[in-house]
Amino acid sequence: MGGIFYVKNLQSQLVISEMNNAKLNEGIEMQKELLIQKENDFKAITEANNNLLLSNRQLEEDNQRLDQKFNKINASGKQRDIGNLAVQKPKSIEMILNKQQVERARCFEIAQGSPLTELEKNATKKSQINSECTSQANPNYVGY
Amino acid sequence: MKEIIDILEKHFGTDTPITPESHMIDDLNGDDFDVVDVVCQIEEALGITIPEEETMGLGTVQELITVVSAHVES
Repeated sequence: MGGIFYVKNLQSQLVISEMNNAKLNEGIEMQKELLIQKENDFKAITEANNNLLLSNRQLEEDNQRLDQKFNKINASGKQRDIGNLAVQKPKSIEMILNKQQVERARCFEIAQGSPLTELEKNATKKSQINSECTSQANPNYVGY
Repeated sequence: MKEIIDILEKHFGTDTPITPESHMIDDLNGDDFDVVDVVCQIEEALGITIPEEETMGLGTVQELITVVSAHVES
């Protein structure tokens, strides 16, 4: 008689164990899914971070380029005073800045897939190039 | 002429010989701002004023000399 109770008890404990086991497996599966999600999030964050670093590098390059353009130092060591030039020759400076704006707009067009013109392709002199994105706009230009 | 070449040499350096045929952007590695800068320096040195319309698009040293000379002589 005692043996039967013992077996019944064992059976009920086994059922409880199986239920617990199923719950644990369910928990493990959820943890696995969470882990995968975390890995995906980490990849996305790393990619976004890399993109930010790239953008930052490009901005720094642009900044250096602008700095060199507006604060260029001549052979005598004198720094260009763009403000003074703009006061003395406003029309000329305006014309130069407008030209640069047109060149920048053209850079965007090229970046969006616009084909290069013959003039752009054949530009080999500094006075012929698009100074805003020379490597993209003037593949045949070899700089100093 | 000599004064103009002196100013150009001080501005662009003497690594590349400056001749009347030299192009300020292509040969002397300048840019559009350099051309304006050089014109201002010449105006100051010679005590002259050149209308902006005459200096826009200047390329070679000879073109610069021609424009400046017209105002020095007049």
